[in-house]
Amino acid sequence: MSDHVLSLSSVDSGYGEVQVLDDLTMHLDAGEIVCLVGPNGAGKSTVLKTAFGLLTPWEGTVDFHGRDIGGMAPEDIVREGIGYVPQTDNVFGSLTIDENLRMGGVARSEGLGEVITELYDRFPILDEKRSAKARTLSGGQRQVLAFARALVMEPDVLLIDEPSAGLAPNTADEVFEDVVAVNELDTAILMVEQNATKGLNISDRGYVLDQGTVAYEGTADGLLDNEEVSKLYLGG
Amino acid sequence: MPLLEYLANGLVFSSIIVLGSIGLSLIYSIAGFANFAHGDTMTVGAYAALVTFGTVGGLGGAVLGLPYGFFVALLVGLSAAVVVALVTERFVYKPLDVGSIGLLITSIGVAFVYRAVVQIRFGADFTRYGIQAVRPIEALVPYGIRVTVHDVAIVISAFVLVAGLHVLLQHTDLGRKMRAMADNPDLARVSGIRTNRIKLLAWVIGAGLAGAGGVFLGLFNQLAPRMGFNLLLLIFAAVILGGIGSVYGAMLGGFLIGMINQLTPILSDIRLLTDFGAYLPYVPDSVGITIGIEYANAIAFVIMVAVLLVRPNGIAGEAV
Repeated sequence: MSDHVLSLSSVDSGYGEVQVLDDLTMHLDAGEIVCLVGPNGAGKSTVLKTAFGLLTPWEGTVDFHGRDIGGMAPEDIVREGIGYVPQTDNVFGSLTIDENLRMGGVARSEGLGEVITELYDRFPILDEKRSAKARTLSGGQRQVLAFARALVMEPDVLLIDEPSAGLAPNTADEVFEDVVAVNELDTAILMVEQNATKGLNISDRGYVLDQGTVAYEGTADGLLDNEEVSKLYLGG
Repeated sequence: MPLLEYLANGLVFSSIIVLGSIGLSLIYSIAGFANFAHGDTMTVGAYAALVTFGTVGGLGGAVLGLPYGFFVALLVGLSAAVVVALVTERFVYKPLDVGSIGLLITSIGVAFVYRAVVQIRFGADFTRYGIQAVRPIEALVPYGIRVTVHDVAIVISAFVLVAGLHVLLQHTDLGRKMRAMADNPDLARVSGIRTNRIKLLAWVIGAGLAGAGGVFLGLFNQLAPRMGFNLLLLIFAAVILGGIGSVYGAMLGGFLIGMINQLTPILSDIRLLTDFGAYLPYVPDSVGITIGIEYANAIAFVIMVAVLLVRPNGIAGEAV
């Protein structure tokens, strides 16, 4: 049995009849930030969806703390200790910031108020706007709220899909800083990022996916320095 | 009939439409289903109350001219609508994998079945609860308003139900979950909300309000197997006018459609080209358009379309 917090072993997965992941194996250790990079259609988001129960693996296993959670429903996986931040539509626009955070903690049996207070301390912008509707937030603020909503459950692992998608470069940089801040809360992060260089810059390790399987893996610095990876996948 | 009386009747009729439209909107926004059996669910509630009132109508005491037995019948009617809707959802809609259009057509079929069962058991004729009729409230008659305490009971009961729903939606965790579901069902699920339970709850509340609306409709008019179906298009109009998927929009839409419906006859008093005959040869003294209550639905829909042309998402245009 491995010591990995989250591991996918020989996973095949996809949508309907269309296979996307092909014999994919990867892992995430406690306290890490791991970035998945690769071309469009490589299956990066599919990895997160399969790990989070939005897709059931056709073959292989998804282990969380050594327990197979493959095919478990997302609402149960949240209770196991994994959070998920979708790429788009990741806040409840018609609910206030405070209500969004409360929705993040529906599975908590106690301590909801304390956790939300801590999150307000860590992300003051949310505290300032706690009564505002989430749809009134800017793109970067929404992303912060999406992280905070997922953190209310104090997950061991947070799966983040394209945190910088659709954001201006400066805002994207701020969001990456927030990802690091989230990681400092002892939350391991498995992140999909289209901006591979920026994503790897804040990560400990990375996987390069191509056609549903791992083409390269290694430390983030190692991947950034790898000429072949840089030429083929990082636009270098 | 004076304007004030039209307004008073509009308020009573609106109360019924609001109950129907909130339920329809709630089921649409949370369960994602345009339920064409919603009107006939109202009928089920009304007839369940009829049967119950026949048994318990003799209970002593009365509130606003309505015997205690009526309120027992109201609870039973509301509950019957919930049970019938839940059974239908569990054994008809849920197992079907036919897409939204398939479900919509299925719900039309379910509506026919509800209606047929009611008609087989009770016949096609109009009937009443057997509650003693009451005279209009004396104090209001001098103002031209002829409403009864029964009408007042309908408005108050509907208000209490709507206010209760508002408190539930805004001030309870359950309500927040329902609003979250209506806003973004996928995100609700990944947040850990047990979405199937919330959908079931939407059915319970939606059908319950429909059942209550049906019972009040039977009190306001009479009972007939087509009573709910006849109201269905108006209820859809209310939901669309308010902003499809918005419960608060449905409240507003229901109120407006109900008022427009009852105020339509006023148009018959508005004469186009009035009195031109006095000045022009060959023109009748009074030329106008007589629009009776029979055109009320058409007028309501014309106004709905006019509003949608200006505000395509309806008046509220926001989920729950």
